[in-house]
Amino acid sequence: MECVVQGIIETQYVEALEILLQGLCGVHKERLRIHEICLKSGPNLGVVASEVRLLCDLEQPESTWTVRHIGGAMRGAGAEQISVLVRTMVESKVSKNALRLFYALGYKLDHELLRVGFAFHFQRGAQITVTVSSVNKMLKLHATDEAVPVTPGIQLVEVTAPASAENYNEVVAAVSSFCEYLAPLLHLSKPGISTGVVPTAAAAAASLMSDGGGTPL
Amino acid sequence: MPLKWVLHWQPNAGTTVSSQILSEVSQCVESINGVKEGRWRATLTFYKPHTREQLMAAEFPRDFLGILLPEQPNKYYFIIRGQRIVLEADSSIQTLMEKLQSYKTRVALHFDGFQYQLGDFQLRVGKVVPTHSENLRGIVMEVEYLPISSVEKAKQIMEEFLDIWREAISKRSLPGHFMHMEPNFVEYGLTDHYTSQHTAVQYATVMAQLIATVQAVQSVRN
Repeated sequence: MECVVQGIIETQYVEALEILLQGLCGVHKERLRIHEICLKSGPNLGVVASEVRLLCDLEQPESTWTVRHIGGAMRGAGAEQISVLVRTMVESKVSKNALRLFYALGYKLDHELLRVGFAFHFQRGAQITVTVSSVNKMLKLHATDEAVPVTPGIQLVEVTAPASAENYNEVVAAVSSFCEYLAPLLHLSKPGISTGVVPTAAAAAASLMSDGGGTPL
Repeated sequence: MPLKWVLHWQPNAGTTVSSQILSEVSQCVESINGVKEGRWRATLTFYKPHTREQLMAAEFPRDFLGILLPEQPNKYYFIIRGQRIVLEADSSIQTLMEKLQSYKTRVALHFDGFQYQLGDFQLRVGKVVPTHSENLRGIVMEVEYLPISSVEKAKQIMEEFLDIWREAISKRSLPGHFMHMEPNFVEYGLTDHYTSQHTAVQYATVMAQLIATVQAVQSVRN
C-alpha cells in the first residue's frame, strides 16, 4: 500500500523547490534517471486487463530493475474525505530479464517514459519520498538518449510514503502535514485531480533564492 | 556461491519410483559417511494463464514456473524453459503476480528431505511430492561442492564424486540410477560463476525430465 499526492511546478522554480526541500528534509538529494516501461496484458490474457511497470534505474553504475504493480485506490466516504490517495502497490527488485519474461508471458508495451530529476528520502512521521522530475518520451523504442519532455517547462512533483492497512491514517496525516510546507510553491493533490501551478510560486521562489536556503522553515 | 549439481532418479523402464528406493538412497549416503544435518525443502509451482476461454490458453507458455529455494528465503525465481528465460526476484513478486491475475497456480510440488555433510560436499536427498499429498513423484539429489564457484572448474571433481556415489548405490541393486543433465547455462544468459539462478534452471530441467518419465510410463500403459 502507499499514500500518494502529486503536483506540477514550472521548471524555473525547481531550484527554489530543491532549496526548500533540502531545508525541510535534512538529507542530500539523489539524482533520478528512471526508464519506466509500462506493459499491459495482451487481449486474451486474464479475465480483466492488467498493467505492470518495469523501472530501470539508469543512475546506478549497473542498471537495476524493479517491477511495480499499482492497484486500485481505497474507496468509500472515508477515502473521499482525505486529500491523499491511498492505493495498493506491490513492487519487487528483479534481475535484468524482466522485460523478456513479461513479453513471453503475453504482456505488450503500452508506453515508456524517462523520468529525470532528483529525489529526497527522509523520515518525518512516515518514510516519505519526494521526487521532482521532468517526464520525457522516447522518439524511438527504448532510446533513452533521445528523449524529449512531454510538457516542456513543467515538472512533476510526487510525494509518496509506504503504508499498511493498520497505519495508513498516520501516514496520510504525515504526508498532508509535510505538503503544507510546500504550499507556497506548489499545490499537491490526489493524482488525477489537476490543480495547476500556484500563483504564489514566483514570489516564494524569489524569496527562497535570495535567502540562499540558509534559513530552515 | 558454491557450485551444485541437481540430479534426479531415473527409474528403469517398466519400474516406478518408491519410498523404498528413497530409503535405500538415504541409507547409502550415510554408509559413505554422510552426516545428517537437518531438513530442507524447495517448492516449485507450475503456472497456467488465466484466460476467458480454454482455447486462448494455447498462445501462452505452458512451461512457466516459479521456484522457492531454501538457501534464498527472500527470493523467488521464475523460469520459462522453452524460451530459456530465468528471473530472480524478491519474494514479493508472488504477491505481485497474484494481483495481476493473469496467471494462476496449476500445480505445486515440494522437494523435501534431509541434508548431509560429507567433507567438502553437501548433499541433499529429497522426495518430490505434490503439495497436500504424499504421492511420491520422484527423487532428487543435490550435490554441492563448497570450495568452488566455477561451473567449469568443478566439473572434474563433481564427476569423480559421482563415480564414487554411483559405485556405492549400485551395490544396492536398485531399479534405476541418478542422472545429471546439465542445462546450457549460457543460453539462459548465466555465466560460469554459479548462482541460485543456475539452481533454479537445474530444477526446471529436472522437472521436464520427471514429466517426460511420467508421460512415457503413461503411454506404455495406454
